[in-house]
Amino acid sequence: MSETMPKPVASFFPALRLDELDDALAREIKEECGVDVELCLECGKCSGGCSNGHIFDYTPRKIVQLIKLGDRERLLHMDALWTCVSCQLCWDRCPSAINVARVMDYLREQTYKENVPPTRKEVALFHELMLGSVERIGRVAETRLVLEFNIKTKQYTKDADIGPKMFFKGKLNPFTSGIKKIEEVRQIFRKNPLRKEV
Amino acid sequence: MNVAYFPGCSQHGLAKENDLSSRIVCRRLGINLQEIEDWNCCGATAAHSLNHLLAIGLSARNLSRARDMGLEKITTPCAGCFNRLKTASYAMKNNQIIAEKVQKIIGEPAPHEPEVKSLLQLISEEIGQGVQQKVIKPLSGLRLAAYYGCLLTRPKQISAFDDPDQPVSMDHLIQALGAETISWGYKTECCGGGYAASQTGIVYDLGGQVLKAALDGGAEAIVVACPMCQANLDTRQEAICQSKGETRRLPIVYFTQLMGLAFGYSPAELGMKRLLNSPYPLLKKKHLL
Repeated sequence: MSETMPKPVASFFPALRLDELDDALAREIKEECGVDVELCLECGKCSGGCSNGHIFDYTPRKIVQLIKLGDRERLLHMDALWTCVSCQLCWDRCPSAINVARVMDYLREQTYKENVPPTRKEVALFHELMLGSVERIGRVAETRLVLEFNIKTKQYTKDADIGPKMFFKGKLNPFTSGIKKIEEVRQIFRKNPLRKEV
Repeated sequence: MNVAYFPGCSQHGLAKENDLSSRIVCRRLGINLQEIEDWNCCGATAAHSLNHLLAIGLSARNLSRARDMGLEKITTPCAGCFNRLKTASYAMKNNQIIAEKVQKIIGEPAPHEPEVKSLLQLISEEIGQGVQQKVIKPLSGLRLAAYYGCLLTRPKQISAFDDPDQPVSMDHLIQALGAETISWGYKTECCGGGYAASQTGIVYDLGGQVLKAALDGGAEAIVVACPMCQANLDTRQEAICQSKGETRRLPIVYFTQLMGLAFGYSPAELGMKRLLNSPYPLLKKKHLL
């Protein structure tokens, strides 16, 4: 600490000094997502409008601040990553056009690659099963996906009330036809592995 | 007018009526939908949630197949597919690094054309009030809530269509059919999207708010333009209403089903029997059957 720094200031703010912050995460977000968090006006429109802000542990406004503070650990473990509905309202409303939705995707992608356990594992499982279907046949086999999900989560009677109704209305197609050039789709998957290769 | 058509997975299963009514209405309006050959899933929420380049790559393959058809526009009746296709197109157009990466992934130049439009946008821009000329059975007496959902007009950077918060295009179409639309604040609130199976409580919460707002606004049905919105509000409605002691129920119909009805097609042809909360009693009451 410089000798010219008046002591009282440091004692008021013992935990945080802006000149000691690590801006590595902010730079990473800028490079990978094209998002400059320094443009944030701290207006809070993102959080005010956020579809699921009422159940987020960290709202978009706070997430932007945590990036500025470089708190990667907290961000990779937050529950909001698995309850965000990707409605993209935060990006739309931001006066500085900060694409928080893209940042949420990026953070979730890093979390997943680094094998950080998701706070809501059913959400990750559903994504995995859905992508499994796309990789297998090129499209989503909805009925099989829901059955697989209910079996894997041991929720054998989940939606037992609406399932039969949907079946008789013809909403549950038991046979989803796959695409012809499935190799083209599988190649896209092979070139973009979900987990970090070891 | 020839337009490349991307149905999306739901339109082959859960939301077949969305596909049926879209094709019927476009045929009547002189829009020739040409289905993209061998299209694949857009990746939906699952892909962009876990891998950005995978999501763009999957949509890029579809755009590439559509480009091969030599058409200027591509349309889809699903707000989710629309958002994924257009986001991919936007990223490849505005980000050279992404475009180069995609080229390596799909093994051909990154396509950002043809122009992606939601079916609502296509009909609003190309036909607009011209739909009135095709109406042979005006939907008079119906009071409806036009529900756009989150991704049809948002974010404005991607959709570049209508107002992101208070859109009017669907209201205008419905009014051209002879029905009335309510003024309400939930036009673009999220229904809970892809969480129907994995976080059902979120759909009860968010979808429940949309249903309540439509009922409070005096709507007799909700009109949608997305299979996720339809499925969430229709299939979860019974549980939501029961938990809140709500006795009223609302049919959730696609805007293309309403258009088809006004154009003289039967509800059965438009797949209205497939909806869980049947619109038949309402249509009967209004002498529209």
